[in-house]
Amino acid sequence: MSNSTTSGENERRPERAAVKRALRSFELSAWLALATLVYVITLILVRRHPGWSPSEKIAVSLVPILPGLFYLKKGIQLLRELDELQRRIQFEAWLFAAIGTVIVGTVINVFNANGLEGKWVAHGLEVGGTYLTMFLLWSVGVVIANLRYR
Amino acid sequence: MKNRLRELRAELQWSQGELAEKLSVSRQTINAIETEKYDPSLPLAFKISRLFKQPLERIFTPDGD
Repeated sequence: MSNSTTSGENERRPERAAVKRALRSFELSAWLALATLVYVITLILVRRHPGWSPSEKIAVSLVPILPGLFYLKKGIQLLRELDELQRRIQFEAWLFAAIGTVIVGTVINVFNANGLEGKWVAHGLEVGGTYLTMFLLWSVGVVIANLRYR
Repeated sequence: MKNRLRELRAELQWSQGELAEKLSVSRQTINAIETEKYDPSLPLAFKISRLFKQPLERIFTPDGD
């Protein structure tokens, strides 16, 4: 009886770990969503109050940094809980995303410098474009690294 | 690096998942080590060595040997 209970416990342990990891991922996404929401709210607030002094504008604009820092903290916690292969996969994916974003940004700047800016080529990679490019390249990097170590 | 992990695991009739749990790593890590796509870190290699009660050099051998 106790053996079957122990065996059942052992069988459930990976499931519990998977649930814990999923909860951590959800928590991380929630902090990102909150940081984005706070950023949008502060953007609207600053635009609707043109009469605010520069120091007031700076103070309000810096508010999204707080949830952003919690997002960073949770992200680091999540990375530390990964096993060594998963950490390697994340490292390769982030490196791919970082270098890829620099290349995309450089190519766009070269196009702009050569007068190709306009309908087909964007005017540089702005903050939103940089985040989007990094996220897309990170996703591709995760898929490639997972296929490599499958 | 070559290794005998699959062979040692089979002797004890453990699944990849069971071994992964005993070593506190993911099943993907065990599979990647067994298929020689990934070389474990030194701490993990020592953990494997202790678990199977075999010296490191009897489990892992460099590619040239």
